[in-house]
Amino acid sequence: MSNDRYHTVGKSIFRRGAKERLTGKPIFCADMELENVLYLKAVRSRHPHAGILGIDTTAALSIPDVVQVFTAKDIPGKNLMGIINKDQPLLAEDKVRSLADPVALVAARTPQAAELAVAAVSVDYDPLPAVFDPEEALAPGAPKIHAKGNVLVQKKVRRGDVAAAFEKAHTIVEKTYRTSAIEHTYLEPDAGVGFPDEDGTLVIYASTQNPHYDHKEVVSLLGVEDHAVRIIQAATGGGFGSKLDMNVQGFIGLALYHLKQPVRYVYTREEAYLATAKRHPFVIHMKTGADETGRITAMQMKAVCNTGAYGSYGIAVASRAAVHATGPYAIDNVDLECTAVYTNHPFCGAMRGFGTPQMALAHESQMDIHARALDMDPLEIRVLNGVKKGTVTATGQELVHSIGFQDCLAAVTPEYRKAGTDWLSEPTPPHIRRGVGIAGMWYGIGNTGVQNPSTARVAMDRNGQVTLFTGCADIGQGSTTILSQIAGEALGLDAMDIHVVVADTKYTTNAGATSASRQTYISGNAVKQAADKLADVLLTEAVNYLKVKKADLRLENGSVRDARHPEKQVGFVRLASRILDKGGELSWQGYFDPETVPLDPETGDGIPYTTYAFACHAACVEVDVLTGETSVRRVIAAHDVGKAIHPENVIGQICGGVAMGVGFALMEAFVPGETISMNDYHIPTAADMPCVIPIIVEAAEPSGPFGAKGVGEPALIPTAPAIVNAVSNALGKRIYALPASLERVLDASIASGHFNNCYQES
Amino acid sequence: MTQTSVTVKFTLNGKETVKDISPEQSALQVIRDELGMKGTKEGCGIGECGACTIEVNNQAVNACLMFGVQLDGCRVMTVEGLAEEGRLHPIQEKFLAGHAVQCGFCTPGLLMSTHALLGENAEPDDSQIVQAISGNICRCTGYQQIFSSVRAAGGQHVQGRGQEDC
Repeated sequence: MSNDRYHTVGKSIFRRGAKERLTGKPIFCADMELENVLYLKAVRSRHPHAGILGIDTTAALSIPDVVQVFTAKDIPGKNLMGIINKDQPLLAEDKVRSLADPVALVAARTPQAAELAVAAVSVDYDPLPAVFDPEEALAPGAPKIHAKGNVLVQKKVRRGDVAAAFEKAHTIVEKTYRTSAIEHTYLEPDAGVGFPDEDGTLVIYASTQNPHYDHKEVVSLLGVEDHAVRIIQAATGGGFGSKLDMNVQGFIGLALYHLKQPVRYVYTREEAYLATAKRHPFVIHMKTGADETGRITAMQMKAVCNTGAYGSYGIAVASRAAVHATGPYAIDNVDLECTAVYTNHPFCGAMRGFGTPQMALAHESQMDIHARALDMDPLEIRVLNGVKKGTVTATGQELVHSIGFQDCLAAVTPEYRKAGTDWLSEPTPPHIRRGVGIAGMWYGIGNTGVQNPSTARVAMDRNGQVTLFTGCADIGQGSTTILSQIAGEALGLDAMDIHVVVADTKYTTNAGATSASRQTYISGNAVKQAADKLADVLLTEAVNYLKVKKADLRLENGSVRDARHPEKQVGFVRLASRILDKGGELSWQGYFDPETVPLDPETGDGIPYTTYAFACHAACVEVDVLTGETSVRRVIAAHDVGKAIHPENVIGQICGGVAMGVGFALMEAFVPGETISMNDYHIPTAADMPCVIPIIVEAAEPSGPFGAKGVGEPALIPTAPAIVNAVSNALGKRIYALPASLERVLDASIASGHFNNCYQES
Repeated sequence: MTQTSVTVKFTLNGKETVKDISPEQSALQVIRDELGMKGTKEGCGIGECGACTIEVNNQAVNACLMFGVQLDGCRVMTVEGLAEEGRLHPIQEKFLAGHAVQCGFCTPGLLMSTHALLGENAEPDDSQIVQAISGNICRCTGYQQIFSSVRAAGGQHVQGRGQEDC
């Protein structure tokens, strides 16, 4: 849809907060100056699984400048955290379940003293047998991580008759895929500060994706009234899902509660690696059947994912994995099951995509294998099977609106074709083989089959100044900018003319988590609703003032004017005064909760999401058959975002997602006990990046704000399978486990004979 | 906790600076903790991420890997030295206009790497740009909008990485 009809939507305005970041203002928690601040540091477990027989803090407390050492018994409220299921103590009580588990918290006047005290806390452990592999953790007799057993959850989606469909299938492909644990590696290590306010409120600034959840959790840990705690989101240096959990917030709350003095906790990178959530590693057994035309008629999928010591977002990951297992394809007969399993691995939680990137590796590899078996083109098989209007999904939901998958496929087609002919046929040195791969994805916007509302307030004062109050945490993706644009559009104002109050539990209401690619769609709608209500009050008053019917009035640059006679106008200031003088209301609340239907526990039947984002990536790679090095040269990335409120932000998400996808595909693997620091964990640098060609597809979502959906997670999802498919295209040998590291690619090169051929020639 | 201290004198963002520091302190600790300038960020503390990049005698360096005492006698520039009297430096303006800032934690380091690059080579080619910024990790942007902003700051007026580039 053309942007001409919009005042600010669709325009890539300068980002809110960019100037502070460009000039190095002290906006992150580690930067904030506080008088008499105490430094916090957790004592963490030395064992992956052990009973705690006793904790002796005497030696630690005798160290100069050490103020206090807290243990579980100092927690006044409920010592249990978790956004979906509560199974994670702030400080371990009777046992530790991973190397990351905190057992005590030190507060000291200097960081050095805090560190010495951590080393001096003596914990008497009774080591227990540990288990790290989720399939082993399911075996009878496996060490029990939690009293209720090692299964966190099992999510199922069933539809049609899979057995009969396999019976009739022309080709059947059955493979096992594996993915690694991934560390988010946001640039800002977790951090928070806290201080008691004049009235005794415990004020906590945190690097977080969900201040209102933090608030609820800190209140519960401390057993205090809601108003006793105030959480403010500080500038947050990336999150990607990991800052959805309580990382430092609970520790800061506990110390504040007892010491009533400013405290700071900034994780070192090493602590951020050890103690925060990871992406769930998956083992996926997938079997698909196709008829002779290439139509996929059946899918059976059994996945086990390792949630480590605690649930965190594991239930959401398992649920989303099952629901998204088919990929953006219409498959009538499915039997899908994902089990999340506790182990003694450091806990896994939310990471950009919640299990969908792992599933995409499987369904996109299967798609290519079917195409090859039937001598079909990889693009054609996707066009044939791709969802379209009227498709009924695995959960029985009929797709009606905003289904841009075919448009995404069409958008990459010219570049994909050109790469397949021109680029592949260019001469290369003998040790370099080129390949082109393609992959699709779909992604449900918002939480899966559960309520996940957002609220917002838009208020005008007597001077006509508009302020947007939103609880939505901007973690770098730019939500504050686009929510301002949405409010501005509704009120005919420039986005930057709107004041914003963001993510402060004292002044803003709950917007839910910055996760699940939900904020543009859900909070955007809440903001739009609030702004529309305010706009309507202004218009109503203007009718009275201008004596023009409402339908002819427009909000424009701080005035309401008659569209037919633009000289007839009245400014917001005058309208605001008139409304307030009459006792009218200029502060309006918006609320939006997407319509979903909870999924049946046995069949998965229901409506998990109101709307879905779609995408297709094509990747061009060069593989060095002698070293196994894979260089991604280009990625063409088409994304159906409904409507790009801020196109450059969308492009930023796409390019950032591709980078994370390159890491997921080729280099990233978090290994507990081995991955200690950034030395041991490599993510893409500028030198590793392909040229990305972002293509924005806008299949407007009728229920979205100005048609918008979301893009944050979708951006990452198709990249890794597109790269894996390209490597397979280059070598004629497929890789089934991520990352496709040097070793795995070299193995594939040797197995395919390319290594030998090249070696003998040279 | 050391008993001794060392006096260092250096020019920081054009200002003569004298400070007593502990010999084991890193340049990053001196700048952030002793001088209270928080623009320079710590992302890893071991020279992997580049968030603490500063310019020392026109060279981009990781402040976390340098001892504070090594600053003695040097010309040092941090992100706070870029904007003058509230006016953004041209590199900052290009980053703003090029939408190169997302979470912003890597931004100061990238600005300093860019500043050092352009100080040495006013019109870098693409490979020189990649080399100059490849020590600065960014997890948000995928580098493309950063890359084109550096290009623009270096006088290349190409919008984004065009398809002709790859």
